[in-house]
Amino acid sequence: MIEPNIRTGTPVVRVTNLAKAYGSNVVLRDVSLTVPEGSVTAMIGPSGAGKSTVLRCMNLLEQPDSGEIEIDGHRINAGRKPNPKNLAALRRSAGMVFQHFNLFPHMTVLRNISLPQERVLGRSRDEANEKSMELLKRMGLAEKADQYPSRCSGGQQQRIAIARALALGPRVMLFDEPTSALDPEVGVEVLEVMKELASTGMTMVVVTHEMAFAGNVADELVVMADGGIIEKGEPGQILQDPQHDRTRRFLRAVLER
Amino acid sequence: MEMLRAIAIGLPLTVLVTVLALMIGTVLALPIVAGLRSRNRILWLVSRLLVDLLRGVPPVVWLFILYYGVSIGAIRLTALQAGVLGLGVVAAAYLAEIFRGAISSIPKGQWEASSALGFHRATVWSRIIGPQTARAVVPAYTTFAIGLLKDSSIASSIGVAEIVFMSSQYARQSGEGIMVFFVAAGVYIILSVPLGLLSRHLDVKMRKAVAR
Repeated sequence: MIEPNIRTGTPVVRVTNLAKAYGSNVVLRDVSLTVPEGSVTAMIGPSGAGKSTVLRCMNLLEQPDSGEIEIDGHRINAGRKPNPKNLAALRRSAGMVFQHFNLFPHMTVLRNISLPQERVLGRSRDEANEKSMELLKRMGLAEKADQYPSRCSGGQQQRIAIARALALGPRVMLFDEPTSALDPEVGVEVLEVMKELASTGMTMVVVTHEMAFAGNVADELVVMADGGIIEKGEPGQILQDPQHDRTRRFLRAVLER
Repeated sequence: MEMLRAIAIGLPLTVLVTVLALMIGTVLALPIVAGLRSRNRILWLVSRLLVDLLRGVPPVVWLFILYYGVSIGAIRLTALQAGVLGLGVVAAAYLAEIFRGAISSIPKGQWEASSALGFHRATVWSRIIGPQTARAVVPAYTTFAIGLLKDSSIASSIGVAEIVFMSSQYARQSGEGIMVFFVAAGVYIILSVPLGLLSRHLDVKMRKAVAR
């Protein structure tokens, strides 16, 4: 295993000794990861490696068996039942984007983005709508505000989901295979938005199969297999010269098809 | 003319029994659904047994038990009370299953998005899961309501003077036999068809808005 790059940015996300198993099926073994402020971490690896599970543990959508998670100073120890206040604070610090968007189908696009601001941040309807419209414009989707999500393409839905998460002002954005459910051409729209987001200094953790994104946009690449991190470091270096045999096999499979 | 008069006298009670039983059933179904979804094994088991008990015994038997069997101190149920209550609790069991099915038809991602956004439980139910469940439940709920409208005739067996009770009384007194029952059947159809139409209209309208 390669030593992780040491950066100067203070860590926004710190995951320590995460472990999880379903009965005898071990999904995570001793995963530790630090994400410095303003950096983009891409997580790659074969399916079933535990990438998504690590990401979902970060905001406790998945409860790890042991280990510690800290986001923006809010720390949760997996062994104990989380304090609800602390859990809420941690989740507020992390914006989540799902593979299948998970927009609310019974609300207009605008309500999808405004409701969480009203309910979680206590913004007034007008304040929330103003923020929502600002984000929709940034996503190039202002004209979709009054549509229902079902009237939007997959790429548009995913950008709306990104806007919904950004509207809460998260310290870190967690992306769980954001383009895997999209046609390659449509996925590009979403990747463009993510690149723009990275360029503004947003801290991001991205589970992905998009090797170009992982290579060009990420500051740090994490390779997972069989529930553990097998390699992490500078993306260019890992993609050019993987140290681990498992990484080499995986890269050959995804790059040379 | 006499025949129509008999049915017209029965009509309000048919509607009353149906509406009240549906209201009781809907309200009682909610705690039962909570029990059926509970992770507490005891709560779950109690709810499960209650549903199976209520559904397993024919409604007419429940009505007999409530009408002839219940006397708490000086309290004895009238035929109408026993009919409404009996059909109401049986409805609660069926509606609880209908609600449970509708809730579990909501994709897991809706719960996950709600959690990730940091919604409180109350908000998740009132703004996300509740409204989507209500939409999902419309077709099954109206089908059940139409069934209940017809099953309200069971209350005639303990002497509630609704349409079927009045019809059979008329048939016996007048000696005209079967004719009155054809008219009664027509009245039931006239009552239930609009319900079905309304249901389909609502369903189509809501599907248009949220179709995935």
